[in-house]
Amino acid sequence: MTFDGDRDRMMESVALYALGVLPREEAALVAAFIANDDAARAEYLDLRAAADALAHIAEEPVDSGRSARMKERLMARVRSDAAAGSVARRRIAPAYPAWLWGTGLAAAAAIVFSVVTVIQDVNLRGDLATTQRRTAALQVQLAQNDRIARQDRRTLTDLLAPDAKRYDVAAGTVVVRRDRIYFAFSKLPVLPKGRVYQAWVAPKGSKQVTPSVTFTPNPDGVAVVALPVDATRVGAVAVSVEPDGGSKAPTTTPTFVRPLT
Amino acid sequence: MDPGVRLMERVLARDVAAFEALYDGYHRLVFGIGLRMLGDPTMAEDLTQNVFLKIWTAPDAFRGGSFVAWVSRVARNRALDALRSKAAHPESEIPADLPLEGALDDDVLARVDAQRVRDALAKLPPEQRGLIELGFFGGVTHQELARRTDTPLGTVKTRIRSGLKRMRDALGERVSR
Repeated sequence: MTFDGDRDRMMESVALYALGVLPREEAALVAAFIANDDAARAEYLDLRAAADALAHIAEEPVDSGRSARMKERLMARVRSDAAAGSVARRRIAPAYPAWLWGTGLAAAAAIVFSVVTVIQDVNLRGDLATTQRRTAALQVQLAQNDRIARQDRRTLTDLLAPDAKRYDVAAGTVVVRRDRIYFAFSKLPVLPKGRVYQAWVAPKGSKQVTPSVTFTPNPDGVAVVALPVDATRVGAVAVSVEPDGGSKAPTTTPTFVRPLT
Repeated sequence: MDPGVRLMERVLARDVAAFEALYDGYHRLVFGIGLRMLGDPTMAEDLTQNVFLKIWTAPDAFRGGSFVAWVSRVARNRALDALRSKAAHPESEIPADLPLEGALDDDVLARVDAQRVRDALAKLPPEQRGLIELGFFGGVTHQELARRTDTPLGTVKTRIRSGLKRMRDALGERVSR
């Protein structure tokens, strides 16, 4: 998918992105295209407006029983949270004397002990351990998926955000938003085997660069890269071609050096 | 101004009554998105709870613009999360989340109502309307849309683009920036 090669095809992908039907990887590429192209950004905003308007037709009457139950559940939680929040904010002293906390803990311990005993009595310990292991593994997997999804969501948001700063560079754009920096390349030359692109960052007020991530564009020269640095401390970024695995200092003339002013 | 925006300003100040009004005004929209995308009233109910709890616990996630558009996107992203976690579709068929920021100007979208959108949608050729509705509420990718409607991928793309442009024109200045 080159940005120059088939512009109409890319503009159609902009419509798909506005409607929200692109898979993650393709969405990132289209976001990079939009970040690099004013006309695409204007069309995206227009089509996204039409897509957002679609939400209006989703409104469904909720039957009164369900509606009341949902509201009751939610408001109970919110009121309790609001009360707890206001207590915390007012820093009120504990309502119970310290010795009562000890009694409470002992009671809680007794309850836990009796629960454990019951479980042992019915000989479910083995099953429980297996279930716990599976649950733990599942939780790790879910947390990982959630982290990736949140990261993708943030990248896509940042690349298209109206308040992001954009710096044109060879083959793409450097996008800076708040404390985050991204490279959105649309046509990087594909490198021979054994070579990678490497990002470099120079702290504010320094001409010394430090090594950052290495990356490889897709076969069409497209890459979206999030730099793991605090943008507020960075004065300039650069990219060079390095041996696979990266270098400690640039070994070739940089593809670009861009002060972030 | 979108009434949701005014209520969110009060929710930020931990105003429970404002939150309740927000819920009364928008829970049918969130529930409807959940129901259409998940196809199950109980899951739609859970999604509605989750979305509004999130609004209560992190109201600063709303950074202005149209509240309707924002809360719809939040609901849609939550529904995608639910589809992922229950593995209703393979991961490859589930689209990327929608960005939550950069929403339309609030008073513009606030003037678009459901009937006007239905009218605009009704004016589209059926093949465009079907793809756009399934795309928005189906929680599937364009490849899956092509498979489900037995339509070539290129045609799906062209129809969605043309359909969204016609919708934008039909809604006129109400959704133009």
